[in-house]
Amino acid sequence: MYGDLANKLILEAKRTQQLSQAGFTKQQLPTYQDEIVRGILKEVGSLKKNVDYLREQQLANQDNKVAQCQYVVAMLSMERNKRCLLAYQKMRSEILDSMIWDNNGMEFSSSVSTHPNTPSFDSSVLSHPEQEYLKEYAQLLTEMKSGELSEIDLTGTLDPPSDVFIDVRVLKDAGQIETEYGVFNLIKDSQFFVRQSDVERLIQQGYLQKI
Amino acid sequence: MGYYDIDDILADGTRFPCRFNYEIPGLGYLEGNTGRPISKHSKLELPLWMVHLLAVVGAESGEDSGAEEPLPFVELLPPELFAPRVLNAIKSGAASLDLHSISPHFYTLAERWATLFSDKDLSQVLKDMLLERGQEINNYAVSVSLFSHRGQTNDSAVFLQTLDEFEKSVYRDTNVNCKEMKKWLALK
Repeated sequence: MYGDLANKLILEAKRTQQLSQAGFTKQQLPTYQDEIVRGILKEVGSLKKNVDYLREQQLANQDNKVAQCQYVVAMLSMERNKRCLLAYQKMRSEILDSMIWDNNGMEFSSSVSTHPNTPSFDSSVLSHPEQEYLKEYAQLLTEMKSGELSEIDLTGTLDPPSDVFIDVRVLKDAGQIETEYGVFNLIKDSQFFVRQSDVERLIQQGYLQKI
Repeated sequence: MGYYDIDDILADGTRFPCRFNYEIPGLGYLEGNTGRPISKHSKLELPLWMVHLLAVVGAESGEDSGAEEPLPFVELLPPELFAPRVLNAIKSGAASLDLHSISPHFYTLAERWATLFSDKDLSQVLKDMLLERGQEINNYAVSVSLFSHRGQTNDSAVFLQTLDEFEKSVYRDTNVNCKEMKKWLALK
Protein backbone atom coordinates (compact mmCIF):
# COMPACT_ATOMS: atom_id res chain seq x y z
CA MET A 1 0.00 0.00 0.00
CA TYR A 2 1.05 3.58 -0.54
CA GLY A 3 2.96 5.02 2.38
CA ASP A 4 4.37 1.75 3.70
CA LEU A 5 7.87 2.51 2.48
CA ALA A 6 7.69 5.97 3.98
CA ASN A 7 6.75 4.42 7.29
CA LYS A 8 9.86 2.26 7.14
CA LEU A 9 11.96 5.33 6.55
CA ILE A 10 10.45 7.08 9.53
CA LEU A 11 11.11 4.09 11.77
CA GLU A 12 14.72 4.30 10.66
CA ALA A 13 14.72 8.01 11.47
CA LYS A 14 13.34 7.28 14.91
CA ARG A 15 16.13 4.80 15.57
CA THR A 16 18.74 7.32 14.47
CA GLN A 17 17.21 9.93 16.71
CA GLN A 18 17.26 7.62 19.69
CA LEU A 19 20.90 6.75 19.05
CA SER A 20 21.97 10.36 18.92
CA GLN A 21 19.92 11.17 22.01
CA ALA A 22 21.61 8.42 23.93
CA GLY A 23 24.77 10.24 23.00
CA PHE A 24 27.12 7.39 22.41
CA THR A 25 27.24 7.51 18.66
CA LYS A 26 27.36 11.20 18.14
CA GLN A 27 29.97 10.81 15.46
CA GLN A 28 28.36 7.95 13.67
CA LEU A 29 25.34 8.41 11.54
CA PRO A 30 23.63 5.30 10.21
CA THR A 31 23.95 4.79 6.49
CA TYR A 32 21.73 6.84 4.25
CA GLN A 33 18.75 4.74 3.18
CA ASP A 34 19.25 5.28 -0.49
CA GLU A 35 17.14 2.36 -1.58
CA ILE A 36 14.08 3.28 0.47
CA VAL A 37 14.27 6.92 -0.56
CA ARG A 38 14.46 5.92 -4.19
CA GLY A 39 11.51 3.58 -3.72
CA ILE A 40 9.43 6.39 -2.22
CA LEU A 41 10.32 8.72 -5.04
CA LYS A 42 9.20 6.12 -7.52
CA GLU A 43 5.93 5.75 -5.64
CA VAL A 44 5.38 9.49 -5.74
CA GLY A 45 6.06 9.43 -9.46
CA SER A 46 3.35 6.88 -10.11
CA LEU A 47 0.96 8.70 -7.80
CA LYS A 48 1.58 11.84 -9.78
CA LYS A 49 0.61 10.07 -12.96
CA ASN A 50 -2.59 8.87 -11.32
CA VAL A 51 -3.42 12.32 -10.06
CA ASP A 52 -2.90 13.92 -13.45
CA TYR A 53 -5.17 11.39 -15.05
CA LEU A 54 -7.84 11.77 -12.38
CA ARG A 55 -7.79 15.52 -12.64
CA GLU A 56 -8.53 15.38 -16.33
CA GLN A 57 -11.42 13.09 -15.65
CA GLN A 58 -12.72 15.35 -12.94
CA LEU A 59 -12.96 18.31 -15.24
CA ALA A 60 -15.52 16.32 -17.16
CA ASN A 61 -17.89 15.67 -14.27
CA GLN A 62 -17.29 18.24 -11.58
CA ASP A 63 -20.21 17.66 -9.28
CA ASN A 64 -19.54 14.03 -8.65
CA LYS A 65 -17.95 14.24 -5.22
CA VAL A 66 -17.61 10.49 -4.86
CA ALA A 67 -15.29 10.34 -7.84
CA GLN A 68 -13.16 13.01 -6.23
CA CYS A 69 -12.46 10.78 -3.28
CA GLN A 70 -10.00 8.76 -5.28
CA TYR A 71 -8.19 11.95 -6.18
CA VAL A 72 -8.08 13.06 -2.57
CA VAL A 73 -6.65 9.74 -1.41
CA ALA A 74 -3.88 9.92 -4.01
CA MET A 75 -3.07 13.48 -2.97
CA LEU A 76 -2.99 12.51 0.69
CA SER A 77 -0.57 9.69 -0.05
CA MET A 78 1.70 12.09 -1.87
CA GLU A 79 1.59 14.56 0.99
CA ARG A 80 2.41 11.83 3.44
CA ASN A 81 5.40 10.66 1.42
CA LYS A 82 6.66 14.20 1.12
CA ARG A 83 6.40 14.79 4.84
CA CYS A 84 8.28 11.58 5.65
CA LEU A 85 11.08 12.34 3.22
CA LEU A 86 11.51 15.88 4.46
CA ALA A 87 11.48 14.85 8.11
CA TYR A 88 14.09 12.17 7.49
CA GLN A 89 16.36 14.59 5.70
CA LYS A 90 15.90 17.31 8.27
CA MET A 91 16.75 15.02 11.13
CA ARG A 92 19.97 13.97 9.43
CA SER A 93 21.03 17.47 8.53
CA GLU A 94 20.45 18.59 12.10
CA ILE A 95 22.79 15.89 13.33
CA LEU A 96 25.35 16.95 10.73
CA ASP A 97 25.08 20.56 11.88
CA SER A 98 25.69 19.69 15.48
CA MET A 99 28.64 17.51 14.50
CA ILE A 100 30.27 20.43 12.76
CA TRP A 101 29.72 22.75 15.70
CA ASP A 102 31.04 20.20 18.14
CA ASN A 103 34.15 19.63 16.14
CA ASN A 104 35.01 23.20 15.52
CA GLY A 105 34.29 23.19 11.81
CA MET A 106 36.25 20.07 11.22
CA GLU A 107 37.56 19.45 7.79
CA PHE A 108 36.72 15.95 6.79
CA SER A 109 38.98 15.67 3.85
CA SER A 110 42.17 16.85 5.50
CA SER A 111 44.26 14.89 7.93
CA VAL A 112 43.14 16.55 11.16
CA SER A 113 41.34 13.39 12.10
CA THR A 114 44.51 11.87 13.45
CA HIS A 115 43.93 13.11 16.97
CA PRO A 116 41.65 11.21 19.32
CA ASN A 117 38.90 13.82 19.75
CA THR A 118 37.73 13.44 16.18
CA PRO A 119 37.31 9.81 15.39
CA SER A 120 37.75 9.31 11.69
CA PHE A 121 34.46 10.10 10.06
CA ASP A 122 33.30 7.74 7.40
CA SER A 123 31.73 9.87 4.73
CA SER A 124 30.37 6.87 2.87
CA VAL A 125 27.34 6.82 5.19
CA LEU A 126 26.22 10.10 3.66
CA SER A 127 24.44 10.59 0.39
CA HIS A 128 26.18 12.70 -2.19
CA PRO A 129 24.14 15.86 -1.56
CA GLU A 130 24.74 15.41 2.14
CA GLN A 131 28.48 15.39 1.62
CA GLU A 132 28.20 18.61 -0.33
CA TYR A 133 26.03 20.08 2.39
CA LEU A 134 28.52 19.14 5.07
CA LYS A 135 31.39 20.68 3.18
CA GLU A 136 29.59 23.90 2.49
CA TYR A 137 28.21 24.24 5.99
CA ALA A 138 31.69 23.80 7.44
CA GLN A 139 32.92 26.44 5.06
CA LEU A 140 30.15 28.82 6.08
CA LEU A 141 31.07 28.36 9.70
CA THR A 142 34.74 29.05 9.00
CA GLU A 143 33.84 32.14 7.03
CA MET A 144 31.63 33.43 9.79
CA LYS A 145 34.30 32.90 12.38
CA SER A 146 37.00 34.59 10.37
CA GLY A 147 34.77 37.41 9.18
CA GLU A 148 33.01 39.95 11.36
CA LEU A 149 32.91 37.67 14.35
CA SER A 150 36.61 36.91 14.50
CA GLU A 151 36.83 38.59 17.91
CA ILE A 152 34.69 35.94 19.54
CA ASP A 153 35.55 32.30 19.75
CA LEU A 154 32.15 30.89 18.90
CA THR A 155 33.10 27.28 19.34
CA GLY A 156 35.08 27.81 22.53
CA THR A 157 34.12 26.21 25.80
CA LEU A 158 31.22 27.72 27.70
CA ASP A 159 32.64 26.96 31.14
CA PRO A 160 34.21 30.03 32.69
CA PRO A 161 37.92 29.52 33.44
CA SER A 162 38.70 28.89 37.08
CA ASP A 163 42.30 30.07 36.94
CA VAL A 164 44.37 32.20 34.66
CA PHE A 165 47.24 29.74 34.71
CA ILE A 166 46.86 26.01 34.55
CA ASP A 167 49.00 22.90 34.53
CA VAL A 168 48.89 20.94 31.33
CA ARG A 169 50.37 17.67 30.25
CA VAL A 170 51.36 17.04 26.67
CA LEU A 171 49.68 14.01 25.14
CA LYS A 172 51.25 14.20 21.70
CA ASP A 173 54.23 15.90 20.16
CA ALA A 174 53.14 19.23 18.81
CA GLY A 175 56.36 21.10 18.15
CA GLN A 176 57.10 24.55 19.48
CA ILE A 177 54.58 27.16 20.47
CA GLU A 178 55.32 30.76 21.26
CA THR A 179 53.46 32.65 23.94
CA GLU A 180 53.96 35.94 25.75
CA TYR A 181 55.82 34.08 28.44
CA GLY A 182 58.33 32.42 26.21
CA VAL A 183 58.63 29.45 23.96
CA PHE A 184 57.44 25.98 24.94
CA ASN A 185 58.60 22.87 23.26
CA LEU A 186 55.71 20.43 23.44
CA ILE A 187 57.17 16.97 23.78
CA LYS A 188 55.03 14.02 24.77
CA ASP A 189 54.56 13.48 28.53
CA SER A 190 56.11 16.75 29.58
CA GLN A 191 54.26 19.20 31.82
CA PHE A 192 53.91 22.96 31.71
CA PHE A 193 52.41 25.77 33.72
CA VAL A 194 50.87 28.06 31.15
CA ARG A 195 48.22 30.67 30.64
CA GLN A 196 44.92 29.00 29.87
CA SER A 197 43.90 31.23 27.02
CA ASP A 198 47.12 30.42 25.17
CA VAL A 199 46.56 26.71 25.07
CA GLU A 200 42.79 26.49 24.92
CA ARG A 201 42.79 25.46 21.28
CA LEU A 202 45.45 22.82 21.82
CA ILE A 203 43.43 21.27 24.62
CA GLN A 204 40.39 21.16 22.39
CA GLN A 205 42.34 19.51 19.65
CA GLY A 206 43.59 16.87 22.03
CA TYR A 207 47.27 17.74 22.13
CA LEU A 208 47.23 18.80 25.76
CA GLN A 209 45.41 17.65 28.85
CA LYS A 210 44.52 19.84 31.78
CA ILE A 211 45.55 18.52 35.16
CA MET B 1 4.18 18.56 17.36
CA GLY B 2 5.19 20.01 14.08
CA TYR B 3 5.64 19.13 10.48
CA TYR B 4 9.05 17.56 10.99
CA ASP B 5 8.31 15.85 14.30
CA ILE B 6 9.18 12.19 13.91
CA ASP B 7 6.97 11.01 16.75
CA ASP B 8 4.05 12.91 15.33
CA ILE B 9 4.59 11.30 11.96
CA LEU B 10 4.77 7.87 13.55
CA ALA B 11 1.56 8.50 15.45
CA ASP B 12 -0.05 9.58 12.20
CA GLY B 13 0.72 6.19 10.73
CA THR B 14 -1.34 4.29 13.28
CA ARG B 15 -4.16 2.35 11.71
CA PHE B 16 -7.75 2.87 12.74
CA PRO B 17 -10.73 0.73 11.80
CA CYS B 18 -13.22 2.48 9.60
CA ARG B 19 -16.14 1.84 7.28
CA PHE B 20 -16.79 3.29 3.85
CA ASN B 21 -20.10 5.07 3.37
CA TYR B 22 -19.99 5.13 -0.41
CA GLU B 23 -18.97 2.91 -3.20
CA ILE B 24 -15.86 4.56 -4.54
CA PRO B 25 -14.29 3.55 -7.83
CA GLY B 26 -10.59 2.89 -8.08
CA LEU B 27 -9.86 2.53 -4.39
CA GLY B 28 -9.91 -1.26 -4.35
CA TYR B 29 -6.18 -1.36 -3.77
CA LEU B 30 -6.79 -0.40 -0.17
CA GLU B 31 -8.56 -3.71 0.28
CA GLY B 32 -6.08 -5.67 -1.75
CA ASN B 33 -7.89 -6.00 -5.06
CA THR B 34 -6.40 -3.41 -7.34
CA GLY B 35 -8.47 -1.84 -10.07
CA ARG B 36 -11.81 -2.69 -8.48
CA PRO B 37 -14.06 -0.20 -6.72
CA ILE B 38 -14.27 -0.34 -2.98
CA SER B 39 -17.73 -1.34 -1.96
CA LYS B 40 -20.10 0.46 0.37
CA HIS B 41 -19.93 -0.62 4.02
CA SER B 42 -16.65 -2.44 3.63
CA LYS B 43 -14.62 -2.31 6.81
CA LEU B 44 -10.87 -1.97 6.87
CA GLU B 45 -8.04 -0.45 8.84
CA LEU B 46 -6.50 2.66 7.39
CA PRO B 47 -3.73 4.90 8.69
CA LEU B 48 -4.76 8.08 10.43
CA TRP B 49 -3.15 10.39 7.88
CA MET B 50 -5.53 9.03 5.29
CA VAL B 51 -8.77 8.88 7.22
CA HIS B 52 -8.61 12.09 9.21
CA LEU B 53 -9.64 14.06 6.16
CA LEU B 54 -11.95 11.45 4.69
CA ALA B 55 -13.86 11.23 7.94
CA VAL B 56 -14.62 14.94 7.86
CA VAL B 57 -15.14 15.69 4.19
CA GLY B 58 -18.18 14.17 2.57
CA ALA B 59 -20.35 14.19 -0.46
CA GLU B 60 -23.97 15.17 -0.60
CA SER B 61 -25.99 12.06 -1.04
CA GLY B 62 -29.12 13.69 -2.41
CA GLU B 63 -30.00 17.09 -3.84
CA ASP B 64 -32.54 18.04 -1.20
CA SER B 65 -30.63 17.14 1.90
CA GLY B 66 -29.01 20.54 2.09
CA ALA B 67 -29.91 21.09 5.72
CA GLU B 68 -28.37 17.86 6.91
CA GLU B 69 -24.68 17.45 7.26
CA PRO B 70 -23.21 15.53 4.35
CA LEU B 71 -22.29 11.99 5.16
CA PRO B 72 -18.49 11.68 5.28
CA PHE B 73 -16.67 9.32 2.92
CA VAL B 74 -15.64 7.03 5.72
CA GLU B 75 -16.88 6.56 9.21
CA LEU B 76 -14.36 5.94 11.95
CA LEU B 77 -15.35 3.05 14.17
CA PRO B 78 -14.54 3.15 17.86
CA PRO B 79 -10.99 1.79 18.06
CA GLU B 80 -9.58 -0.71 20.52
CA LEU B 81 -7.39 2.07 21.83
CA PHE B 82 -10.21 3.99 23.47
CA ALA B 83 -12.46 1.10 24.33
CA PRO B 84 -14.26 1.39 27.68
CA ARG B 85 -12.02 -1.40 28.97
CA VAL B 86 -8.91 0.76 28.45
CA LEU B 87 -10.50 3.91 29.80
CA ASN B 88 -11.64 2.07 32.93
CA ALA B 89 -8.15 0.75 33.44
CA ILE B 90 -6.82 4.29 33.23
CA LYS B 91 -9.40 5.58 35.67
CA SER B 92 -8.74 2.88 38.19
CA GLY B 93 -4.98 3.17 38.34
CA ALA B 94 -3.27 5.46 35.90
CA ALA B 95 0.09 5.41 37.64
CA SER B 96 0.65 1.70 37.41
CA LEU B 97 -0.52 1.30 33.85
CA ASP B 98 1.72 0.02 31.09
CA LEU B 99 0.81 2.72 28.61
CA HIS B 100 3.52 1.80 26.16
CA SER B 101 1.96 -1.56 25.53
CA ILE B 102 -1.39 0.05 24.77
CA SER B 103 0.14 2.41 22.26
CA PRO B 104 3.55 4.12 22.15
CA HIS B 105 1.81 7.30 21.01
CA PHE B 106 -1.23 7.20 23.22
CA TYR B 107 -1.39 10.88 24.13
CA THR B 108 -0.97 12.15 20.58
CA LEU B 109 -3.62 9.80 19.26
CA ALA B 110 -6.04 10.53 22.05
CA GLU B 111 -5.56 14.23 21.45
CA ARG B 112 -6.37 13.80 17.77
CA TRP B 113 -9.38 11.68 18.55
CA ALA B 114 -10.73 14.12 21.08
CA THR B 115 -10.29 17.01 18.64
CA LEU B 116 -11.95 15.13 15.82
CA PHE B 117 -15.04 14.23 17.80
CA SER B 118 -15.03 16.91 20.52
CA ASP B 119 -14.92 14.08 23.01
CA LYS B 120 -15.06 15.80 26.38
CA ASP B 121 -15.01 12.63 28.46
CA LEU B 122 -11.87 11.39 26.80
CA SER B 123 -10.03 14.65 27.30
CA GLN B 124 -11.03 14.69 30.95
CA VAL B 125 -9.67 11.17 31.39
CA LEU B 126 -6.48 12.27 29.65
CA LYS B 127 -6.04 15.28 31.89
CA ASP B 128 -6.46 13.22 35.05
CA MET B 129 -4.11 10.59 33.73
CA LEU B 130 -1.42 13.11 32.87
CA LEU B 131 -1.67 14.63 36.33
CA GLU B 132 -1.40 11.32 38.10
CA ARG B 133 1.32 9.87 35.93
CA GLY B 134 3.19 13.16 35.82
CA GLN B 135 3.79 12.99 39.56
CA GLU B 136 5.13 9.49 39.24
CA ILE B 137 7.39 10.48 36.36
CA ASN B 138 8.70 13.37 38.40
CA ASN B 139 9.43 11.06 41.32
CA TYR B 140 11.55 8.78 39.19
CA ALA B 141 13.26 11.55 37.26
CA VAL B 142 14.30 13.44 40.39
CA SER B 143 15.68 10.50 42.29
CA VAL B 144 18.95 10.25 40.41
CA SER B 145 22.22 10.90 42.07
CA LEU B 146 24.50 13.54 40.68
CA PHE B 147 27.58 11.39 40.39
CA SER B 148 26.38 8.22 38.76
CA HIS B 149 26.85 8.48 35.05
CA ARG B 150 23.52 7.26 33.83
CA GLY B 151 21.47 7.40 36.98
CA GLN B 152 19.25 4.47 36.28
CA THR B 153 18.48 1.74 38.69
CA ASN B 154 16.81 -1.39 37.55
CA ASP B 155 13.59 -0.10 38.96
CA SER B 156 13.39 3.06 36.93
CA ALA B 157 14.45 1.22 33.78
CA VAL B 158 11.38 -0.94 34.13
CA PHE B 159 9.25 2.09 34.82
CA LEU B 160 10.59 3.84 31.72
CA GLN B 161 9.41 0.97 29.57
CA THR B 162 5.84 1.68 30.50
CA LEU B 163 5.89 5.29 29.32
CA ASP B 164 4.64 6.44 25.98
CA GLU B 165 6.84 8.65 23.78
CA PHE B 166 5.44 11.91 25.06
CA GLU B 167 5.97 10.88 28.67
CA LYS B 168 9.49 9.79 27.86
CA SER B 169 10.33 13.25 26.65
CA VAL B 170 8.83 14.67 29.83
CA TYR B 171 10.99 12.29 31.85
CA ARG B 172 14.10 13.25 29.91
CA ASP B 173 13.56 16.96 30.36
CA THR B 174 12.88 16.62 34.06
CA ASN B 175 15.91 14.44 34.52
CA VAL B 176 18.27 16.81 32.70
CA ASN B 177 16.94 19.88 34.47
CA CYS B 178 17.15 18.25 37.83
CA LYS B 179 20.76 17.24 37.24
CA GLU B 180 21.72 20.73 36.13
CA MET B 181 20.03 22.18 39.17
CA LYS B 182 21.90 19.88 41.52
CA LYS B 183 25.16 20.65 39.78
CA TRP B 184 24.58 24.35 40.16
CA LEU B 185 23.70 24.01 43.83
CA ALA B 186 26.81 21.92 44.43
CA LEU B 187 29.02 24.57 42.88
CA LYS B 188 27.73 27.35 45.08
